[in-house]
Amino acid sequence: MSQQLIQLIVSGLAVGAVYALVGLAFIMVNEATGVVNFATGQMVAIGCFLSVTTGIQMGLPLAAAYPLALAGMALFGMVFYAVVFRPLQDRPVVTVIIGTVMIGIVIQNSALITWGSVPFRPRSPFGRQVVDVFGAAISAHALFVIAVSFLMIGLLYAFIYRTTIGARMRAVAQDRDAARLMGIGVDRMFVLTWVIAGLLTGTAGLLVGPMWFADVNMGDPIALKAFAAIIIGGFSSVPGAIVGGILVGLAEMLGAAYVSSAYKDGLVFLVMILFLLVRPQGIFGERIGQRA
Amino acid sequence: MRPPRNRLAVAAALVAFLLALALPAFVSGYGIRILNLALISAIAVIGLNFAFGYAGLITLAQAGFVGCGAYLTAILSTTAGLPPLLSIPLAVVGTTAIGAAVGLPMLRLKGHYLALATLGFNVSFVIVATNWKSVMGGTDGISGIPSFAVPGFAFATDHRYYYVLWLALALATGIAWRIRYSHIGLAMIAVRDDEIATGAASVGVTRIKVQAFSLSAAYAGLAGALFAHMTNFVAPDDFALSHSIIYLAMLIIGGEGSILGAIAGAVIVTFMPELMRDLGQAYMIIFGSLMLLILIFLPKGLLSLAAMAARRIGISGR
Repeated sequence: MSQQLIQLIVSGLAVGAVYALVGLAFIMVNEATGVVNFATGQMVAIGCFLSVTTGIQMGLPLAAAYPLALAGMALFGMVFYAVVFRPLQDRPVVTVIIGTVMIGIVIQNSALITWGSVPFRPRSPFGRQVVDVFGAAISAHALFVIAVSFLMIGLLYAFIYRTTIGARMRAVAQDRDAARLMGIGVDRMFVLTWVIAGLLTGTAGLLVGPMWFADVNMGDPIALKAFAAIIIGGFSSVPGAIVGGILVGLAEMLGAAYVSSAYKDGLVFLVMILFLLVRPQGIFGERIGQRA
Repeated sequence: MRPPRNRLAVAAALVAFLLALALPAFVSGYGIRILNLALISAIAVIGLNFAFGYAGLITLAQAGFVGCGAYLTAILSTTAGLPPLLSIPLAVVGTTAIGAAVGLPMLRLKGHYLALATLGFNVSFVIVATNWKSVMGGTDGISGIPSFAVPGFAFATDHRYYYVLWLALALATGIAWRIRYSHIGLAMIAVRDDEIATGAASVGVTRIKVQAFSLSAAYAGLAGALFAHMTNFVAPDDFALSHSIIYLAMLIIGGEGSILGAIAGAVIVTFMPELMRDLGQAYMIIFGSLMLLILIFLPKGLLSLAAMAARRIGISGR
């Protein structure tokens, strides 16, 4: 394989892993609470900027800056639960979609006022270090992104399928009322779901910062790719989000290099629309195109 | 059986339309441009009301269709050299066709799947407009679009063009009203309220949805074409996804499922930035929060407030 191809594949995997994290945050919330969160991208941006605050503005070492930023995102998840989810819960899907879009606007512009319009360049724990992989020079940060993303996904799996709290969360996702009758604190599970969404999007934000810039408008493009990823993978499927995310990341990188850098995003959305029309259940997952 | 029409609302609308004829006399250069933009948005939002307000289709593509209309008339009137009087209707027909072609496969989707698919369409439109330099001009857009003119008279100033827009909005409103109370309008609402029951009553659900979507695109195309001949310039930014969200916000603020609500919402939201100009950057925060409060506390929009007030003081419109 040529050096360039290896570089493209690794960076595609890194970007794809980030999309997978964001897609998982979206799916977790949608499965457990039934809310389609169109402010997911803005949560990624907030995660990224919290790491700017802790890592650049406060000057903390990254070993302290990252956990602090993630703690902030967990808190953000709780606030989101109380301020957005509670009032919009059980409203028609249209109201929820537009409500979360509006919250996204509020978050984005609050970030603009807080952090300004000049982008930051967060540092990577590995700086500009380069690693040799099969004779190709690969940025260490890209490998770090892939490793951390899959660590997060592994932890999420273990949490959902190996712990009692995870079992309770799955019960709430399957049948809210039955879960309540079984004595499960449904509202507590909802809070937990939003905290997990905060952690997943926060991690995504920490990781993309050093790859691109920390810009207040970064949320929407990332969220759009994550949407595409989960539609391609299968809307309610966890493995689907991972495979979809990586496919979108690879398509973006390889498409930009070999097809057209101008139309790389168009390519992703074309594939997404084709999937919606031809195989709405995605690669994995149930047949969902009809479910309202 | 025909549903009763709200006579009070009709009377209020007629009075408002007639009063609006005198407005340009009191408004200065910049104000009339905002007013014109409000009228153009109102046409797009009345269109959106067919798809979203009546048929219940969540579409995030309205700005994309406005863009189709604007670019079609821009290309037809510059490269092809057609007069606006010809290029505008052609743009509307073209946009309607695009709407039908996009809607036919997409409208099998529901809820947020439809929202995401239409969102994909809008994003793709901007990507194509930004990159197809030879035809759509890329980020520079298309300039040199002629102002609207009829033989012997050019509507080159914003004050003159206001009357063209006024007439277009009046016609658009009248036609929308007719459709609302026709069997097509009733079928759209039936599809929104209960799709399965409507299908069981031998109404072609898919056909009605595609009709609503195409009508919505037709209105968007008209709005876009009128916009292009006012600004004499089109660029991809004016038709981004964020504008689709604003159109939806206009409809919700005014009151979904109501033509007058669509117009009121378009006017209010267009003028909101001007009224809140002192807030500077905080404006969008206030705007988003206001929208959320309206969604939560006034799900039927601001027009429902007016209806409540009318009932309170004992006017019966029926």
